[in-house]
Amino acid sequence: MNGNLLIRRRTIFLFFLLGSIFLVLGLRVAWIQLVRGEELQKEALDNRLQSVEIEAKRGVIYDRNGKELAISVDAPSIGVWPPIVKRSGKEKEIAEQLSEVLEMDKNDVLERLSRQTMFSWIKRKVPFEKGDKIKQLDLPGVHVIQETQRFYPKGRLACHLLGFAGIDNQGLTGLELQYGDVLSGKPGKIVIEKDAAGREIPQATHEFIPPKDGNSIVLTIDESIQYFVERELDNLINSPTDPKECLAIVMDVKSGEILAMASRPNFDPNHFGDFSSKVYRNIAVNNSFEPGSTFKIVTASAALEEGVVSVDEHFYDPGYIKFDGGRIRCWRSGRPHGRQTFAEGVMNSCNPVFVEVGLRLEKKGEGTFYKYIRSFGFGKPTGIDFPGEANGILINEENLKPINIATISIGQGISVTPLQLINMAATVANSGVMVRPHLLKEIRDPEGKVIEKITPQNTKQVISQETAQKVSRLLEKVVEEGTGKNAYIAGYRVGGKTGTAQKVGKGGYQSGSYIASFLGFAPVDDPEVAILVVVDEPKGVYYGGQVAAPVFRNIMEDTLRYLGVPRELPEGEEEGKGERPEEKVVVPNVYGFDREKAERVLKNEGLKPSFVGSGPKIISQSPKGSAEVRKETEVILYTGSISAEGKIEKVTVPDLTGKRIWEASAILEALDLSLKAEGTGEAREQRPTPGEVVSPGTEITVIFKEPPAQEVLSP
Amino acid sequence: MFDSRLLKKFDYSLFILIAVMLVFSTVILYSATQSISTDPFFYIKKQLLFILLGIIGLFLVININYSLFASYQWHLYLLNLLLLASVLLFGKEVNGAKSWIDFGSFYFQPSEFSKILIVLSFAQFLNTRRDKLNSLLDLLPCFAYFFPPMLLIMAQPDLGSALVFLGILFGMVFVAGARPGLLAAIGSGVVGTFIGFLMACLHFGFSIPYIKEYQVMRIIAFLNPYEYAQGAGYQLVQSLIAVGSGGIWGTGLRQGSQVQLNFLPYHHTDFIFSVVGEELGFVGGLMLLLLYFLLVHRLIQIAMEAKDVYGTLIVTGVASILVFHVLVNIGMTIGIMPITGIPLPLFSYGGSNMLATLLALGLAFNVSMRKQKILF
Repeated sequence: MNGNLLIRRRTIFLFFLLGSIFLVLGLRVAWIQLVRGEELQKEALDNRLQSVEIEAKRGVIYDRNGKELAISVDAPSIGVWPPIVKRSGKEKEIAEQLSEVLEMDKNDVLERLSRQTMFSWIKRKVPFEKGDKIKQLDLPGVHVIQETQRFYPKGRLACHLLGFAGIDNQGLTGLELQYGDVLSGKPGKIVIEKDAAGREIPQATHEFIPPKDGNSIVLTIDESIQYFVERELDNLINSPTDPKECLAIVMDVKSGEILAMASRPNFDPNHFGDFSSKVYRNIAVNNSFEPGSTFKIVTASAALEEGVVSVDEHFYDPGYIKFDGGRIRCWRSGRPHGRQTFAEGVMNSCNPVFVEVGLRLEKKGEGTFYKYIRSFGFGKPTGIDFPGEANGILINEENLKPINIATISIGQGISVTPLQLINMAATVANSGVMVRPHLLKEIRDPEGKVIEKITPQNTKQVISQETAQKVSRLLEKVVEEGTGKNAYIAGYRVGGKTGTAQKVGKGGYQSGSYIASFLGFAPVDDPEVAILVVVDEPKGVYYGGQVAAPVFRNIMEDTLRYLGVPRELPEGEEEGKGERPEEKVVVPNVYGFDREKAERVLKNEGLKPSFVGSGPKIISQSPKGSAEVRKETEVILYTGSISAEGKIEKVTVPDLTGKRIWEASAILEALDLSLKAEGTGEAREQRPTPGEVVSPGTEITVIFKEPPAQEVLSP
Repeated sequence: MFDSRLLKKFDYSLFILIAVMLVFSTVILYSATQSISTDPFFYIKKQLLFILLGIIGLFLVININYSLFASYQWHLYLLNLLLLASVLLFGKEVNGAKSWIDFGSFYFQPSEFSKILIVLSFAQFLNTRRDKLNSLLDLLPCFAYFFPPMLLIMAQPDLGSALVFLGILFGMVFVAGARPGLLAAIGSGVVGTFIGFLMACLHFGFSIPYIKEYQVMRIIAFLNPYEYAQGAGYQLVQSLIAVGSGGIWGTGLRQGSQVQLNFLPYHHTDFIFSVVGEELGFVGGLMLLLLYFLLVHRLIQIAMEAKDVYGTLIVTGVASILVFHVLVNIGMTIGIMPITGIPLPLFSYGGSNMLATLLALGLAFNVSMRKQKILF
């Protein structure tokens, strides 16, 4: 034994030093295993479980009559398992073949299939035949996965309302965004246990969680009325008026349902990427503007409700009005309106009259006028189910001067959204009761069962029924004899108000830059619909009565007829007022007729029948019966067989070859058949084949392919 | 062939302890190698062969009276340098480090044996300078003694072995009588300077001399493994997951998903402790640490009972080799040491380390058996 005491002591000391190292290691192991164990066990599980998500099919967006506005069609996507590609050792060849079929850069493809991940996409939602071709190539680690792509069969129709969904079928704008959670459903999953190299482990957990398809939504929008609006706006922007922007809203005054809403410029949601993001904005809800004279309806309503003026009271307009703190000219100051009743003042849209009553309201009680402005819903969102609704701008009450009251009385110095404006008119039309405007009518599950129904809500009385009726009658006068004559429709009692506002730019109002509008409703005795038309920066004539009123009239007339609202005035008057450049005929309803009879009836009316299918009876037609169309219009007749009780029994499958998806969808819809679309482009194949007789409701699978690019022979 | 009187002094308790550890090690290695070979016994057979060779070597070492090594101090020192230089000249580069010499049928890793040689030679060097260890100036020759072999090891580079060398140096100098305060000051000074230098280089974006980029990344990833979980931190993150998911009792042999599904690379060599942690849990890990603790306890006893200072210092060195190997290896698998790639003695798969460890333990037996003068 060595006797050196120092060394013995040091050796013992070293033992404690070394021993403490084991203590540290032991404590650390305890920390990881006992404290963090659970969390790390989960991470180990995540390591092993590789899940591939299966997209849920996004729900359909229907119009109020069940017409499809947005659907999901199958689209193949190309994905790879990089570890499997790597093991095959043929990365380069695979990249080359894929890049050739998909027309992608080879290096880009190579990068994607050599990523350090278990799974990566090469390209998603490719044309149908490309998916087919890649399936045939059968490359190791390359998979063709069926996804769905959003498709808007009506193209630009209601594009701002619908918005669009992105590559992952997530709603990006509009109702697709608003009801994203309802439509999207729940994605499914395949969970596979994998080892570090990405190999499936034999006998490992394989779990298939099927996707839950999204619910469908039914809108308050009526495709036909929407179409009238779209048509009129198109005509407007193609006319010499050529405005910078324009919009129109049609609202059911009793239920608050928006029947149509459109604006220009617009875009095609199927190719939204080709458009500037500026045009995605729904200016009818998300923008505000200075309304001008249409706002005088608020002034008149408040003044009559508060009794500061009576309909027959006399006013004198010298072309301007002076008051404490300012002077405002009438729009017709060169040729003043002179002596007139309040009713005539409304007809003339005379500024001094409205400034006078506006100031009287303020004299009666400070803030009285503002109280009405607020209770008509200005300055705050209407609460419509649409993303990004604007507030509009009200001058703060504390800063309010008589000049502000004076200008707001004639619709200046206040900023409102088009939706707030039409909501106000609808309130007047609906006997003073305000109903929250809305776009959703129903939610249905994927099987079509209604799971939620939206009913009018948040109703409140803003002005009395009596006042509302007085204002309505004044507005009818505006159309009959006043500034709104261009909105007159023979046979219907229409009430409305013009508006012409000078736009505010840098340094005040800009000359030559106007917003023309027309706001009204019909029929006056029992109003059904309110319509607002706003035209921003029209070229040439800029008065609301000149530019916006005719658009209003066209939409209103078509809408009232479409809704079957009866005409009231004697027939005799119609000839004089309703001048029509072309001869029109009413389409007879030929449902249930046999072919020969239908053909005879239509030809007698000067229409061109055209048959689809080879059934003995007519089971559907387009345009529908009682629609008014030009002579020589083609009427498409869908044929099938009908039982004795009048139920459609059998339909003949039509030949869809060469049709685009929306055409095919329209034809099948008319025949009460449903479309299962695969791919995009023109119809090439279909199952069942044309001529086969099937029951209504049968699903017709149609394969669409892009037509080969055609050579341009001449410019 | 053995002196029967010597055999009577054979340290059976130490031998049984080692045997238990080797059985444990073989079982865990069997489990760890199932996922990397189609022949379930491929690695086990090779490892058992090295264990056999190692035990034969151990008994050969016992027979040489350790005092003999003292007179050959400088020969051993020179041999060490030659060995380390040869790996730089003839070595085969694997994973960016030249640490192995390829002998065709097996790889030979000189740095494992170099640790034994430095212990044998340095013990004698210290033995002669025992009363001259009181100032920094006195210690300088000791540092100078370690400098050449450590430089050669860093040139491979083999950071892990260099750390073990430092452990040996400090452990032996401490036992030989250097002032603890002085050693602590030097130790923290060296470590502090090194860390400060690294931080400065990283902060200002200089490339660090003699250190390759992958090593820098390892250190950065060590400090923040989850941020680099797919890159330099992958190994550490997977190891933590493995150890952590073992819990108290572990997943059972051949049941650890991190190991059996190859999420954790090198699990049969440097990361064998992660396998123990995952499959045998806290209980298994603690048992392994306890066995080591008992082993070190026994070694320290032998050191104290040695007949001379030279013997004490040899066994102290052997204990230092083992403890610092354990610290650096297990430390890296549980995230308290940077990943450096040195094996866990007696457990990791690999011939050089198994042989070297058993030879080093042979030295401990050697000292133990000669604690009392043998009467002829």
